[in-house]
Amino acid sequence: MKIVIAGAGEVGTHLAKFLANENQDIIVIDRDESKLSKLEAYNMLTYVGNPVSFKSFKNAGAEDCDLFIAVTPYETDNVLACEIAKYYGAKKAVARIDNYDFLRQENREFFNERGIDDLIYPEYLAAEEIVVALKRAWVRNWFELCDGELYVIGVKVRDNAKLVGMPLKKLFSLSNYAHISAIKRNHETIIPRGDDFIRANDIVYIATTEGASQNILDMCGKEDVHVKNVMVMGGSRIAVQLAMMVGEDYNITIIESDFERCEELADMLPDCRIIHGDGRNFEILEEEGIEDMDAFIALTESSETNILGCLAAKEYGVKKTIAEVENIQFISEAEALNIGTIINKKLLASSRIFQILLDSDSTNVKCLALADAEVAELVAKKDSKITRAKVKDLNLSKDLTIAGMLRNGKGSLVQGDTQIEEGDRVVVFCLAGAIHKVEKLFS
Amino acid sequence: MYIRKSNINTLMVIRVIGWLLMIEAMFMTVPMCVSLYYNEYGCAEKFFYAILITLSLGGLTTKFVRPDRMDMHRKEGFLLTSLIWVVFSLFGMLPFIFSGVVDNVTDAFYETMAGFTTTGSTVFTDVENLPKGILLWRSLMQWIGGMGIILFTLAVMPMFNKSGGVQLFNAEVTGITHDKLRPRVSQTALGLWGVYIGLTIIMALLLFMGPMNMFDSICHTLSCVSTGGFSTKNTSIGYWDSRYVDSVVIAFMFLGGVNFSILYNLAHGKFKQAYKNEVLKWYVLICLLGTVICFADLYFRGENRNVIDCAIDSLFHITATISTTGYSVENYSWGQFSLMILIILMISCACAGSTSGGLKIDRMVVLFKNVKNEFSKAIHPNLVTTVRMNGKVVPYAHVQRTVAFLVIFTLILVASTTIITMFDIKVFDSFFMSLSALCNVGYGSEIGDSGTLVSLPITVKWLLSFDMLIGRLELFTVLILFTKGFWIKN
Repeated sequence: MKIVIAGAGEVGTHLAKFLANENQDIIVIDRDESKLSKLEAYNMLTYVGNPVSFKSFKNAGAEDCDLFIAVTPYETDNVLACEIAKYYGAKKAVARIDNYDFLRQENREFFNERGIDDLIYPEYLAAEEIVVALKRAWVRNWFELCDGELYVIGVKVRDNAKLVGMPLKKLFSLSNYAHISAIKRNHETIIPRGDDFIRANDIVYIATTEGASQNILDMCGKEDVHVKNVMVMGGSRIAVQLAMMVGEDYNITIIESDFERCEELADMLPDCRIIHGDGRNFEILEEEGIEDMDAFIALTESSETNILGCLAAKEYGVKKTIAEVENIQFISEAEALNIGTIINKKLLASSRIFQILLDSDSTNVKCLALADAEVAELVAKKDSKITRAKVKDLNLSKDLTIAGMLRNGKGSLVQGDTQIEEGDRVVVFCLAGAIHKVEKLFS
Repeated sequence: MYIRKSNINTLMVIRVIGWLLMIEAMFMTVPMCVSLYYNEYGCAEKFFYAILITLSLGGLTTKFVRPDRMDMHRKEGFLLTSLIWVVFSLFGMLPFIFSGVVDNVTDAFYETMAGFTTTGSTVFTDVENLPKGILLWRSLMQWIGGMGIILFTLAVMPMFNKSGGVQLFNAEVTGITHDKLRPRVSQTALGLWGVYIGLTIIMALLLFMGPMNMFDSICHTLSCVSTGGFSTKNTSIGYWDSRYVDSVVIAFMFLGGVNFSILYNLAHGKFKQAYKNEVLKWYVLICLLGTVICFADLYFRGENRNVIDCAIDSLFHITATISTTGYSVENYSWGQFSLMILIILMISCACAGSTSGGLKIDRMVVLFKNVKNEFSKAIHPNLVTTVRMNGKVVPYAHVQRTVAFLVIFTLILVASTTIITMFDIKVFDSFFMSLSALCNVGYGSEIGDSGTLVSLPITVKWLLSFDMLIGRLELFTVLILFTKGFWIKN
């Protein structure tokens, strides 16, 4: 598939590398040669030029692409670049925006008329993610799949969890409501087999059916936290978006170091308490009652500050910590430091774009990107390899596993004896770079 | 996953070499079949042994060497590219040794290296007596080496179609920067090979229409589009004494020196990019200027020949030199001035991204523009200058790299010349041999007067083989292996 990415910023670079590893034909256009030179070593074509110009579009050979992604820093550029792309025969165009107004349903017609098929607002995606994390404070990740019939829950297990030290085979015979799909252990993601054990401090990704989450909570030795008081460090756009979405449900305190920004925030968010001060200053945190907080969300520009802020909050006994970590290298470190949920705009944006990409192929429905693994939801086609035998007899590759499926509107977990049939929607876990193997199974 | 592993994945490199050996064995079957066709059963048998050894060793390597990780990074790219050229030469010389046309390993290795690197200087004094199979193998080696062993592999093996493959591409393809034609490296490689194969077919047909027979036209095509220069006749192209043959060869030697991505664009109807290309303009200009000077020198020194012959001869030798093909028409009596012109052309050579060797016009242009800037800066110290190519600014880092390239090139040339003079060979001959090897031109001893290549000391031949290798891979790829930093874990 030919994919053109305009803008080699953080999201663009990440997407380009990610999609190049998935064996797509990538062309990246950016004005700044030094940004593009970092992509030199990857299997893609780079073109130095203005992304919003007919000339560079033609010279880069970007005509008739299957997907055009505009992720330059300016939303107006992105929208215009998408229109140019459509003019040159792009099948699908996606623009990154930073304005919630554009995202509203009633304004969609406007963008559709201009040929922009999808809009991505990373800050909105991040805020959504935080809302889920606040609602289910005991999990690290919570994904709904197959129209809400199946869930994937990511939990960090401790010594007290029942499932530590038990072979997965045995575990499954005891509790048929859970399928351990992936384990993240020491910076490495493993797709476990029946003989593997879960160790303390693993992050376990469990697929489960509707209504079984309470059992999983027990199994993992967790207790549910009811969040009411939330402290946000850093009045970024994500913080504003979050406050707009759930400001009425929680008591939100925002700490921001820039005074002018504080005034803006106070103007925009009348329901929130806005505090002017440095979030790294413990006196201010104590003054504002950090000990009574149920959740601490660090959303400053600096990943390091966010991680340290969350660690400090944990010392004060805050149950749920959420940190925005934009350096991808830091994510696994931050997870190891027991920070509850990690937000990364790049990963969120790229998993959204990947989903858009898969949508264009009708067999694929959904894809979620974890740091180095993917969860895909696919429809089994007629006579595809996956339907030819029972799951245990398929000789599946070691870097993927089938977690669950949706048949006739009812979700169920997949076991070795399960026979996948045509039309089933199947949830597959796979390690990064193995998604093409999954596609082969289903087509 | 995010912790970068810095040690070299040697097992993977060895495994890939195994695969590539099987590809080489596949290429060797071509001369074997030709030998059978011309009833040279002895020669075919020797080729069969060589194929058997190469194939089985390649097969065994891929069967038993199983690396635990498949990733390849920059270091593996340099190591694999350098090694594969040596390994290909080691196995490529087997037919020479088995068939007894050379009696020692040194000569066989030299000949093979001169083949793959498209240098084209030969240890054979009488090529007309060689079996047809051997002759074709010499030309075929040049053809493979011209576009590049690695590039061929990238085009045909899908497993390299990831970032590891890009590293290999960068390590082998010539030039300051490496143009990618298409998003994926395999598509780029296929595109370049497509142009190359297209040129080959057209030239073979054109030559066949002239006085050459089929075998000679194919052999000369293979060694001409690759700008190699192996011939099937002792007197090279001069054997035919035909203006038609000369013109066809001139045209394709010239095309062999053009950046293949320009040819690719031309083939796809993008004439504007070619028309606007600055390097191409310089290339044409230098060719014409060289021809005029050579012609004047030849004509006014009162050679007893007509004007048209003089002109064609000059043009032929200028293109043969600048494209690093190194064919000769006949015993051209070189005037000292013309010889100097040839030496200058040998150093500059043709466009980057072509099959030629040497410093490349791209680098020369950057260097001269940079020198011009330095002069302006001497007068106006606060002046901010940029080097522009095709209207685009060349990043300063690239200018620096080009200057470094020139320095290393000069040092190696001096070192190589010095070592050869230790064997009591005349200074000019030593210099000329080194330059000709380093730039993959392949003018041998016919210009100097130290006798034939065969009589050179063994050490000199190995040194020249090494010069050819580093020249073909543009210095850095090979030389980096001799730095300590390459091997230590960082």
